[in-house]
Amino acid sequence: MAEQKENEHMATYGGTGAHTNGAHPMVDARDVHKSFHGNEVLRGVNLQVRRGEVVVIIGPSGSGKTTFLRCINHLEKINSGRIYVDGEMIGYRETSDGKLAEDGERNIARIRAQIGMVFQRFNLFPHLTALQNVMEAPIQVKGMPKEQAEASARELLAKVGLAQKADAYPARLSGGQQQRVAIARALAMDPKLMLFDEATSALDPELVGEVLKVMRQLAEEGMTMVVVTHEMGFARDVADRVIFMDEGIIQEDGTPEQIFTAPRNEHLRTFLGQIRKA
Amino acid sequence: MGILQWLQNVVTLNHNFNWAYVWKYLFAPAVIQGAILTIILAVISQFLGTLMGLLLYFMARSRWRVFRGISGIYVWFFRGTPLLVQVFVIFYLFPYLGLARPLRAIEFFSQIGFTHGVGPIFLDAFLSGLLALSLNEGAYMREIVRAGIDAIDVGQLEAGKSLGMTYSLAMRRIILPQAFRIIIPPLGNEFNNMLKNTSLAYAAGLYELLNTSLSIGGPLFATLELLIVASAWYLAMTTVWGFIQGYIERRLNASNIEPGVKQGNWWQRAFGLSPREAGTAPVLPTEH
Repeated sequence: MAEQKENEHMATYGGTGAHTNGAHPMVDARDVHKSFHGNEVLRGVNLQVRRGEVVVIIGPSGSGKTTFLRCINHLEKINSGRIYVDGEMIGYRETSDGKLAEDGERNIARIRAQIGMVFQRFNLFPHLTALQNVMEAPIQVKGMPKEQAEASARELLAKVGLAQKADAYPARLSGGQQQRVAIARALAMDPKLMLFDEATSALDPELVGEVLKVMRQLAEEGMTMVVVTHEMGFARDVADRVIFMDEGIIQEDGTPEQIFTAPRNEHLRTFLGQIRKA
Repeated sequence: MGILQWLQNVVTLNHNFNWAYVWKYLFAPAVIQGAILTIILAVISQFLGTLMGLLLYFMARSRWRVFRGISGIYVWFFRGTPLLVQVFVIFYLFPYLGLARPLRAIEFFSQIGFTHGVGPIFLDAFLSGLLALSLNEGAYMREIVRAGIDAIDVGQLEAGKSLGMTYSLAMRRIILPQAFRIIIPPLGNEFNNMLKNTSLAYAAGLYELLNTSLSIGGPLFATLELLIVASAWYLAMTTVWGFIQGYIERRLNASNIEPGVKQGNWWQRAFGLSPREAGTAPVLPTEH
């Protein structure tokens, strides 16, 4: 069954020429470059994330990790390279002469609908209640009937431990509660990939745990996750793979054990040394 | 002493000023009809002006330079010339377009019961006022819409996009509902202005409140008395609007976006003394 689905998928999207055989990674970034006003923040990033894998990206600020994450759902345009999500190129299409042209808005939106994103600053919709925040996209984007969307939204709020807060507006919620609603909101679209952009960095220390707990639970359920974080404990315990980025490229890529106990890269050793001192 | 005596004379002894005219015409059918026409003109002009402002905002944000250019020139022109001149220009433009006669021939207002005035209400006069007020208002509303939309954190649009929304859907469902909360107070002030600016349609010969009053007062040598009648009506309209505006703003704030914002009591709202300052952005959730 899965194979059949795979074949259908290839029939639909195989024409991109990128994937010619077998299962493709959930995220496939190839030689991604990105500049802001002549300042190159991504200098050739290559990363493959398998289905069900939890990849944690660490690195000093300004290393390009957040920018790279935002490229995966095309919130940032890239200057060159390719990013495929579940076999489909995101943000661009290849023209007949092999160059890239930005994709149509609707197609970008269609792919983004399959990618959940959690922001550092939560970005909840302040004019909607927690429940309405979670229901909004399934109704408006997927065309889900209201009753069904509400039932599933209540289920998701219960899952993140906020069933009681369904009718509260974001301004009435703590940072940790807001971030958990934001996770529920992203999950409501039934994404096949979740991106976490420093999801706990804006939280007071005592609220970090409740958000990490939800993320941990998601990882255990087999969600494919790419997580940018400063929480080294989370990286160590939950990640299948830890990526260390610095100066716009991936400096080291390995299991948490390799990264934290036997770092080879000079930048990584410096980075870990600074963290331990702090 | 001399000044006080003079003031007393103005109010009580001046034989040219007759309070009886004020009472006689305050509720005259012609004046009431003029006031109704003023309200109709103001409501439609504000509505069209707001739509125009939205359109001009999105043109100004367009990726095509020609739209940005049109939007800029439009605002430059309509904010840079007097509204009175715009009324005149549009009124005197109709004959060139061959529209003045056909518009006069359509007896729209007499057919819907506007027959109590001091003269017929010509459609070209009404449309001159309506067009000038709407187009002029569009220029000011673009700036108000811009302030409202630009006050919304860019993260809101990104959150919408990350959920698979297109720009227009995110605008409609996420950005505009939040922007409108910011736009409402200055929009209310704009409508207050609009109620009074309709008096410039007088220049096109429309028998709205001011023109009606002047037309009654002139032959009676009671212009000042009838101006007091007109002023009383303008004050009544803007006062009632002050209450409505206060009510709308309270309703909007009831959705907990800005918990704890003081609203002021009824007289503060009516006289525009509400402690809530116009144009404040909703409090965005922040942690540090």
